[in-house]
Amino acid sequence: MEALALRSPAESVPAAEPMSDVARAAAGDARAFEALYRTHLPRVNSLVRRMTAGRDADELTQDVFVRVWQKLGTFRGDSSFGTWLHRLAVNVVIERFRTDQARRARMHDGEDIFEVLPAPAVTRDIGMDFEAALERLPDGAREIFVLHDVEGYKHHEIASMLEISAGTSKAQLHRARMMLRKHLK
Amino acid sequence: MNEHYTDQLSDYLDDELTPGERAMVESHLAVCRDCSSTLEELRAVVARAGALLPRLPANDLWPGIEPRLTGPRDGQVVPFKARTSRRVSFTLPQLVAAGIALMVMSGGGVWVLQHGGRATSLPPVAATNEPPSVVPASSVNPRYDEAIADLEQALRAGRGDLDPATVRILEANIDAIDKAIAECRAALDADPANVYLNSHLAEARQRKLALLRRATALVGGKS
Repeated sequence: MEALALRSPAESVPAAEPMSDVARAAAGDARAFEALYRTHLPRVNSLVRRMTAGRDADELTQDVFVRVWQKLGTFRGDSSFGTWLHRLAVNVVIERFRTDQARRARMHDGEDIFEVLPAPAVTRDIGMDFEAALERLPDGAREIFVLHDVEGYKHHEIASMLEISAGTSKAQLHRARMMLRKHLK
Repeated sequence: MNEHYTDQLSDYLDDELTPGERAMVESHLAVCRDCSSTLEELRAVVARAGALLPRLPANDLWPGIEPRLTGPRDGQVVPFKARTSRRVSFTLPQLVAAGIALMVMSGGGVWVLQHGGRATSLPPVAATNEPPSVVPASSVNPRYDEAIADLEQALRAGRGDLDPATVRILEANIDAIDKAIAECRAALDADPANVYLNSHLAEARQRKLALLRRATALVGGKS
C-alpha cells in the first residue's frame, strides 16, 4: 500500500480543548479568550504564514482571532474547538485571497518555478529551508500544498473551500511536490 | 522516465487512482528507475510537510487583537426587550365581591357537609331535569332565572318544615350569594371583559342554583 496516511485537520490542531475557556470566552470573557489565543496561536499563525508566503501573516492572524471572537457564539461543539477555529482561519485567508483579482490567474502560472527555486541553503535547520522553499512556490500550488500535505485536508474539501475542481487541486498539489522535491535533492 | 506516469505519481501516493490505473503505474515503476526515484522524492516531500512544526510569530499579536474585541458577536443570545410589567389591579368592589364569593363557597361547603347526613336521600344535582349546569355569566339565561324563581318559591313554601337554625343558615348563604352576584355585576359594569369577574359571577350563580336545589330537596324530604 503506497498511500500515505495524511493527518486529518482535526488531528493537526491541539486535541485537548479547555472547554471552560471556550464557554467563558463565548460569554464575553476576554481573559479566557486570551488563553485560547495562546493555545492556538502557533498553529494558526503557521497556517496563515505558510498559505500566504508570509505576506501580512501577522495581520491576518490577528484578523482570524478577531473573527473567532465574533463567531464564538456560533460554535456548537459539533467538532473540536481547534478544528472549528482552524477551518475559520482557512476561510479568513481564502477571503483575503479572493480580494486579489489575479488569484485565479496565479493558479496557472509559475511553470518556470522549477528553474527559479534556489538551491537549498546550507543551514542546520532543514525545517527552515523547507519553509523558505515553500514560500517561493506559486500562490495556487502553495495554498493547496499547505492545505493538503501540511494541514491534512482532502481534495474535495480544498476544492470546496477554494471554489475550484478536485482535479485542479490534484494538479496543483503535484506541481508543488515536484517543485519542492528538487529543493530537497 | 515517462511524463504520463510521472503526473500520476502524486495520485498514486495519495491512493487517488482506480485499481486499474494503480496497477499500470506499479507495472511502470517496476521497469522505470527514474519514475521510482521521483516517487521516493515525492514521498520525502510529503513526509517533510507532515513533519513541519508550528512556530510562534516573532512578536506577540495579542496587543493588536484585544482592543478589537468589541462590537457585535454572531450567535450571541440577545435578551428579549424587557416586558413592561402589567399590573393587575382590582377595584374595591371587585375585591369585596371576590371575598364574598369565597366566603359563600366555603360556607356552602360547610353547610352541605353538616347537613349531608340528613339528606342522604337527596337526588344528585345532575339527575334533576333542570337547566344545564353551565350558565354563561355574561348572558341572560331565562331558564336559569325561571329555575331560580321556582326553587325560591318552593323553599318559601316549605321553610316551615325546616329547622329554624337551618333556615337561618340557608337564608344567610343565599343572601351572601345574592350580594356576591350583585357586587360582581356592578364590577362588571365597569369592566365587562374582566375574565376573573365573569368567572366568579358564573360560579356564584351556579352555587346559588345548587344551594337552592339542595334546600328544596331537603324541604321535600321533610314533608
